[in-house]
Amino acid sequence: MTERLTKPLLAVAAPALALVAAFALTSLVLIIAGDPTGEVWSTILTPPEARNVVNVVNAATVYYLSALAVAIGFRMNLFNIGVDGQYRVATFAAAVVAGEAWLPGILGTVLAVLAAVLVGAAWAGIAGVLRASRGVSEVISTIMLNFIATSLVAYSLRRVAVREEGSNIIGTREIPAESRVPGLPLLGEVNGEIYGFVVVAALCGAGYWFLLNRTRFGFDLRATGQSPEAAVASGVNVKRMIVTAMLLSGGVAGLVGLPILLGSAYTYGSTFQSGIGFAGIAIALLGRNHPVGIALGALLFAYLEEQSNPLQILVDVSPDIVKITQGIIVLTVVISYEVVRRYGQRVEQRRVAQALERPEGERAGVTT
Amino acid sequence: MAQAQVAPPGQLAVRLSGIGKQFPGVVANDDVNLEVRRGAIHAIVGENGAGKSTLMKILYGVQKPDSGTIEIDGSRVDLSSPADAISAGVGMVFQHFMLADNLTVLENVVLGAESRHGIGDAARKEVLRICESYGLHVEPDQLVERLGVGERQRVEILKVLYRGAQIVILDEPTAVLVPQEVEELFTNLRELKEEGLAVLFISHKLDEVLSVADEVTVMRRGSTVATVDPADVTARQLAELMVGSELPSPTTEASTVTDEVLLAVSGVSLPTADGRPLLEDISLQIRCGEVLGIAGVEGNGQAELVEAIMGMRPGVTGSVRLGERDLTALSTRARRECGISYIPEDRHRHGLLLDSPLWENRVLGHQTRPPSARGMLIDKTASRRDTERIIEQYDVRTPGPDVLARALSGGNQQKLIVGREMSGKPQVLIAAHPTRGVDVGAQAAIWRHIKDARREGLAVLLISADLDELIGLSDRINVILRGRLVSEFDPSQVTPQQLGSAMTGAGPDAETGR
Amino acid sequence: MRRMTKTAALLSTAALVLSACGGGGETDTGNGGDGTGSGAQSDIKVGMAYDVGGRGDESFNDAAAAGLDRAVEKFGFESQESEAALDEAETQREERLRTFADAGVDPIIAVGFAYSPSVAKVSKEYPEVNFAIIDDEVATGKNIANLVFAEEEGSFLVGAAAALKTKADHIGFIGGVNVPLIKKFEAGFKAGATEVTPDIEIDTTYLTQPPDFSGFNDPAKGKTAAQGMYDNGADIVYHAAGGSGGGLFEAASESGNLAIGVDSDQYETADPSVQDVILTSMLKNVDVAVEEYLTDVEAGDVPSGVTRYDLSVNGVGYSTSGGQVDDITDQLEEFKQQIIDGEIKVPTS
Repeated sequence: MTERLTKPLLAVAAPALALVAAFALTSLVLIIAGDPTGEVWSTILTPPEARNVVNVVNAATVYYLSALAVAIGFRMNLFNIGVDGQYRVATFAAAVVAGEAWLPGILGTVLAVLAAVLVGAAWAGIAGVLRASRGVSEVISTIMLNFIATSLVAYSLRRVAVREEGSNIIGTREIPAESRVPGLPLLGEVNGEIYGFVVVAALCGAGYWFLLNRTRFGFDLRATGQSPEAAVASGVNVKRMIVTAMLLSGGVAGLVGLPILLGSAYTYGSTFQSGIGFAGIAIALLGRNHPVGIALGALLFAYLEEQSNPLQILVDVSPDIVKITQGIIVLTVVISYEVVRRYGQRVEQRRVAQALERPEGERAGVTT
Repeated sequence: MAQAQVAPPGQLAVRLSGIGKQFPGVVANDDVNLEVRRGAIHAIVGENGAGKSTLMKILYGVQKPDSGTIEIDGSRVDLSSPADAISAGVGMVFQHFMLADNLTVLENVVLGAESRHGIGDAARKEVLRICESYGLHVEPDQLVERLGVGERQRVEILKVLYRGAQIVILDEPTAVLVPQEVEELFTNLRELKEEGLAVLFISHKLDEVLSVADEVTVMRRGSTVATVDPADVTARQLAELMVGSELPSPTTEASTVTDEVLLAVSGVSLPTADGRPLLEDISLQIRCGEVLGIAGVEGNGQAELVEAIMGMRPGVTGSVRLGERDLTALSTRARRECGISYIPEDRHRHGLLLDSPLWENRVLGHQTRPPSARGMLIDKTASRRDTERIIEQYDVRTPGPDVLARALSGGNQQKLIVGREMSGKPQVLIAAHPTRGVDVGAQAAIWRHIKDARREGLAVLLISADLDELIGLSDRINVILRGRLVSEFDPSQVTPQQLGSAMTGAGPDAETGR
Repeated sequence: MRRMTKTAALLSTAALVLSACGGGGETDTGNGGDGTGSGAQSDIKVGMAYDVGGRGDESFNDAAAAGLDRAVEKFGFESQESEAALDEAETQREERLRTFADAGVDPIIAVGFAYSPSVAKVSKEYPEVNFAIIDDEVATGKNIANLVFAEEEGSFLVGAAAALKTKADHIGFIGGVNVPLIKKFEAGFKAGATEVTPDIEIDTTYLTQPPDFSGFNDPAKGKTAAQGMYDNGADIVYHAAGGSGGGLFEAASESGNLAIGVDSDQYETADPSVQDVILTSMLKNVDVAVEEYLTDVEAGDVPSGVTRYDLSVNGVGYSTSGGQVDDITDQLEEFKQQIIDGEIKVPTS
């Protein structure tokens, strides 16, 4: 096999292997649970209607941003578990800023987005500074910050909330219509609109790719992630990188809740979707920290979740099967990539060894 | 588990006949024949890639041979895993230690072999017995992180013996040791041999091989080419057997030293909390075209000195100047940009991104300078082109610049690092153990490059545990002891023995240089 | 990096699977599908969209399920059920309702105020389908029935009972999650207690803050909070914390104090070993509401608009099993009458 063929083949082999394994394992779970395996798969694989496609894309947009935020940390060996807290604090801040309408129309939107990015970055930055200055593991500090975020938002929400009589949901003041981000009725008005924020998410993905792979900063970040010692020896200021990476990760995390806030909910309340940050961790793993991989992972997760209602209502299967499938997919992806990576490494080492088998005449360096 | 009864010395412990191992496209071993007796130290020498490691992996059950037979104590065995090898009495001490830093010596030894003597007093007694009978001096309750390299190696040997090994393989055990530690190791090995064990010793360092081995087998291109009695050969002859051609040596050429001081370190100290400074008032100057060698027993401040000059170590006092520029307040990156290059001691940890392609490794340390960077962006095209130049000029054996660094052999990795650090017209090169663990061919090439650069006016700070290398390359040699520069020697007048005693702080010899 | 990837994968998989297990408990959707009653046959298909926890949560969702089961038994409805997942998006709740509607289900009962926005939205998309929502009166429309409860009135009575029974003049309230709904319980309880003893000391705590809704299903947290109150001198504690209440009963039993249950008659459902600490329970008869609503549906008279289940219609109340409040029943009945007559106005917050 030539190199030109091997690389793309290996790249396709890993996800293919993972999906087949996940399919088999999930079927096994279904059989053990005594659920109708065939029906479950045919329901899951039923092509979604236009309306569901819109839902899937919208949910994936949110997941995408979350996974991107996690991936920035991952690339530097930082485990930002705090995306969940970061986006909730940031979304709340944005909801207040946009809801109070301090600036009119689109300016209010821009201000809200800025507020979200800054608040998310600051919240993650706390963990970054603690890690850089005091060596506190970011895993622990971000988990703790998640708890603090929950309480802080709950407390602040009660301060600023407006409550409709008879409602049990409290929320921030509703964002004025002219500050909302319009949706894209790509599949017809009846079927709902795709979040306008999908464009922002795509730009973030492109920016992430460019930053990491094309810039000096990205190189330093990846180098630090691979080997902090080598990065230090090469002149990287690792402490500054830690703080910067956490700020970036938190900034993107700040955007996570905005598609929902500015595109459909228009208020941050007690029923605002939570847990997106944790889904982001799984999706970042699934997408191998690659912007396109993450997009596919986000779509897959969103698609599976979209199918959980028909599964329950039409096939009478517990929606937990969806969560189990998601978990199995993450595991199989990680394992199959590791298997394929090792195989690829062996292939490469062999190739290098072959290259060493050049005729004796080419071997220089022995005679001086 | 069955502990083989120690057979009388002289009896064959291992016989490998006709061993062949082929990886697709590469013959790693071909018709390897080897006989190792009990009560003897048997050395295996050969260039990197000559097939020594593959052979040892076969003997340790990591890989299965395609052909040939393995006999241990006269009976044919089939080793399909290290566990098989261990129960057949084969133990291996790897070049890279596999110890848990935060556990004690005893815990490290027992870890994974709990079934032998449990983890309690019986285990402790057994460890102490082994230490006693083989003269291995280690404190069982000491934390491994507190141990020096030599002691760690003894722990590795202890681990192997604890598991009942009668045949001990050591993979380049002296690569990480200083002369005194090497002597200690050899004493230990001789003890093992006295006790009737068979010791297989892999090394590049021919002098050592000649001084310790009872038999030497030379490998070249996957095959065993000769087994000789060390009494009958010189190091030179042995080396010629290894590479099959004439040999280089690190002889200095005419001095190229000029008057222009390039690197000036003055009053550098590194205090620590416990009051024992790691570096104390170090001052040195290196002139244009000069190689200053630093000799010292490992752990006497060499690593700290390098990190202080590179600006990687917080808490350093004193000043570092490059020509007219004061570097003291500058970051590592700024110092590199000023023209200081750095070949780190541990290439895997400090020198390379193992899972990145070679061209990215070319960028490492040069992130801010052309050809690696263009403005804020990484210039991939130019980096790749320049990597190809390095591959060509420094004879890095690789199919191309997109190969992962991990896939290269140690010598080729090091040649890439040397080529990288010589790029961009550096003024000063800090070279820490530049030829550690590389084969003879690569070593000669690296020496040649350092000499060439010196001729062109490069100032080099050379830190090495290889005293021949220091003497051969340096214009001056300073000895570092407990964080201080204690004496200076003229390499043309000094012997390794004199250097050795100065390094350990023993005797009046220390001052002979001046 | 690689080791971290593996660790992260394990952790997040564990989290997913745990949330799958934790979310459902004894998830039993077996009663859905074509669960036809034994007696009568009917063309009516009822859909029930539960909140997180679903059937089997031994609390709110189960009460709704009980009402549904009785109606199915009586009228031979077909029924289909679906439960919310933890951390789901708004669109998923909407989609749940739409999936029901598309499957020809009518009426659709949404259990819990979290469905308010989705019922409001989807009911407009399916004007010919009837919806009912429990605990919410914001989502309104011609095809929406709002089944709400006067939790404050029931809480008033158990508050009064606590004040009459306490020996220390010191009682406590544990809320599951700090949301307006639970605030109603607290307000009524306090009003009832101070009505009896104006200077009574009342400790108050909430187990979690939204969006963390685990306070409704965390007995350990409930137990810790209750122990704190008993240690602090309270001798009767009332909880509005769903499944977390089990912890309260344990704490009461261990410290020899009393507790007040919520939603259903917890004397009947609790573990026999802690029965004797349950002074009474504030009854919130969700099952009655569901059953009545379905009875109207069977009769062809589908309700819409707000139906308030208060003391006057026995939508809320207090339980007497165990006999511990027998000696004060007269006083409680008197309060009840005064509330029904409007002589006492019970605050809701």
